[in-house]
Amino acid sequence: MTEEKNQPLLDVRELTVAFGHLAVVKGISFAVQPGEIIGIVGESGSGKSITCRALMGLLPGTANASGSVKLNGRQLLGLDEASWRSIRAPEMAMIFQNPASHLDPLKRIGQQIAEPMIRHQGIGRSEGQDRAVRLLEAVGIRDPELRARSYPHEFSGGMKQRAMIAAAIGCGPKLLIADEPTTALDVTVQARILTLLTKLNRERGLAIVLISHDLGVVADVCSRVVVMRHGEIVEQGKTDQIVNKPQHPYTKLLIDSQPGRRPAGAGSAGSAPARSPLLTIENLSVSFPGKRDLASGLRLKSAREFLALDGVNMQIAEGETVGIVGESGSGKSTLARAIIRQNGASGGAIRFDGQNVQALRGETLTRFCRSIQMVFQNPYDSLNPRMTVSEAIAEPIWRHGLADRRTAQRQADELLELVELPGILRDRKPRQLSGGQCQRVGLARALALKPQVLIADEITSALDVTTQAQILDLLTRLQRERALTLLYISHDLRVVSSFCQRVYVFKAGRIVESGPARQVLTKPRDPYTQELVESIGSLVPSPTLAL
Amino acid sequence: MTLLPLISRRLLQLPGVLAGICVVTFMLLHLAPGDPARLLAGDRASAETIAAIRHQNGLDQPLWQQFITYVANLLAGDIGQSLRFQRPVSALIHQFMWPTLFLTGYVVLLAVPPTIMLAIASARRPGGVADQIIRVLGIAGLTIPVFWLAIMMSRFFGAGLGWFPVSGYGQGFFGHLHHLFLPALSTSIWLVPVLTQSLRAALIEKTTADFVTTARAQGAGEGEIFWRTILPNAVLPTLNLLGVMVAFLIGGTIIVETVYAVPGLGALMIGSLLGRDYYVVQGLTLTFALATVIITLVVDLLTAFIDPRVRL
Repeated sequence: MTEEKNQPLLDVRELTVAFGHLAVVKGISFAVQPGEIIGIVGESGSGKSITCRALMGLLPGTANASGSVKLNGRQLLGLDEASWRSIRAPEMAMIFQNPASHLDPLKRIGQQIAEPMIRHQGIGRSEGQDRAVRLLEAVGIRDPELRARSYPHEFSGGMKQRAMIAAAIGCGPKLLIADEPTTALDVTVQARILTLLTKLNRERGLAIVLISHDLGVVADVCSRVVVMRHGEIVEQGKTDQIVNKPQHPYTKLLIDSQPGRRPAGAGSAGSAPARSPLLTIENLSVSFPGKRDLASGLRLKSAREFLALDGVNMQIAEGETVGIVGESGSGKSTLARAIIRQNGASGGAIRFDGQNVQALRGETLTRFCRSIQMVFQNPYDSLNPRMTVSEAIAEPIWRHGLADRRTAQRQADELLELVELPGILRDRKPRQLSGGQCQRVGLARALALKPQVLIADEITSALDVTTQAQILDLLTRLQRERALTLLYISHDLRVVSSFCQRVYVFKAGRIVESGPARQVLTKPRDPYTQELVESIGSLVPSPTLAL
Repeated sequence: MTLLPLISRRLLQLPGVLAGICVVTFMLLHLAPGDPARLLAGDRASAETIAAIRHQNGLDQPLWQQFITYVANLLAGDIGQSLRFQRPVSALIHQFMWPTLFLTGYVVLLAVPPTIMLAIASARRPGGVADQIIRVLGIAGLTIPVFWLAIMMSRFFGAGLGWFPVSGYGQGFFGHLHHLFLPALSTSIWLVPVLTQSLRAALIEKTTADFVTTARAQGAGEGEIFWRTILPNAVLPTLNLLGVMVAFLIGGTIIVETVYAVPGLGALMIGSLLGRDYYVVQGLTLTFALATVIITLVVDLLTAFIDPRVRL
């Protein structure tokens, strides 16, 4: 260890952050060497975001930080505001999880990138503008001069994060703190942003603290990893050491929960059963009207329609687990909503048990509604905040007239048991539950009507990776016990391929590839699928990296 | 700036709105109780006289013909003849409009600076001493009836101290300023708390916005963050509220105008309603509707100027 002789760029010792008497970060110590990329991994509530706010001096006024944080030997804790301001941007900078909300919607991108430089380096407005254009080019934005004049709402998510990075590196800081910089982005965009960060690290010697909940992402780009849980560091060390020889049980759990690491459950079931398809989608198209206003109406121009689904064909057999993968905007959720009749089709047909779903009326429609149920992405938003858990689960039962309210309540208790929720939770409201518990309630409510088909729309993407693994296990068990046909929608190819028998890959409203999960993951044919597969942050370090 | 598409789009919407206004104002007159012809002829007129007057004014024609005549007259700038004053309504409105517009502008000038100052003082430390005092004063300002405040102020400052005139409109610009000070002040005392609450809430919300954290992480000072980031982002809801309020004031300064005997549109409205001078009421309704349309347009353009997202 020759590094120990050099002075670390950032030296954190016994850092404790407390809100009143409640310590959320409990005496953590780690160091960042110049030009190093270090990863901090942990689930939500592990204190990793609070840690990086403490490093930047951006804690809310109610928080109290103690210990020692040294940047180039200079003690940062206890600095006054003016000294902090002289450090932020020129010495260290920060980028955030959600680039959309962290850019000022009223200012042009170029101006927002130029502002820190104008502030700290005393350059003029036009000089700042010129440098902003060069920075935009450096972070890989095409047409930088034109784009500098754009507003944030005219940028895509990935471009916004690039602009944030450009604004952060403008003053030439030595350290960049990246707080979940890719979590809000699609996987392919995520991979490109990570590539950009490593490039900046290599070319500019920029040290990066990368905070993420995704060990896969961290393992890809970081040389060292710090694993946090409940405000403490449970383990830290070189990446391949952490990944291949984890010491702490929590690290082991984290690694085992990674979707790619899980034993292929239902996926091993092999070829699709030769039964007749339960759900058939024939050439389905769904379009949304474009932005229509009086002016375009007067110009006799038909409002441009947006094709969310464009000629989709699928067949799902009874008892099958089918995965749908794609980026946001690829039409996955539109498909789910079309199947449950929430979106009208503009062409094609959806057949359930041979009947056209769009044409169902009356009693057959009610029966159809009972046999297809859906679970949604956001566990909190999809539950009525004023209903207790058991009320929420019982509601569909008595509403469909399957039982009176008292019997429905008793059935709800059984369903709670089925989704492995303790009975004491039955009288809680959703906000008193964790995200994973809420999602179990959502599952129980969907299963209350004993459906044949269950549509799961990104049900684990709002959850921590260990919780995700638990929900997936539960889903596998339910699917087996209840002979459910499962349509699993996700942006995460790893989850889908470890869990489903067949996979459809969506892009821009079309199916670009379909086939058995293993084949799509290992031998992708379509260029887009190949890109998706390559974007997967694998936890298995490639041989070159391990050396 | 790229405001032109927005302006053209908004202007294209105008004809529809105006047509709606025409129909409503026309129906207003014909659905109102009472017979204009009888009113015009006087109480003792014979049936023949009334019939003659009705014929003369075209009131015996079918409704659709009357509407066409009405719209044609509107397009020619003729909105009828006042039954009471025997003068064109347009001339009447033109005469009474200026005091009201002056008063409205005066109120806005008196209300906006204190609104910004009070909201900033309030939002700096929500729940702090300044915030509490401003809130209590605001509730007091909102709950004291405008007419009572107007009477008290005219007694105290006007009749008692003699600083300001208690009635009329005055001569010349400074005369107007002098005469309308008390009416404008008593209206502002009611308006400021409304606007302050709106701006305060928006300021507090934007103080914790993510892009404020970004600015702080880029080393911006608190003053710079406030004036360049928080305030522009927070001002829009209040601007829209101010637009609604101004539109309301143009038609709604009736109480203040009555108490201070300002010869404005409110006073004209009251007089015409009481005297069943329907054509004037109709003309005034048209004016108020037009004023609302224009003010909404101006506010929308201002909003689009501040917020690029609206320009789509």
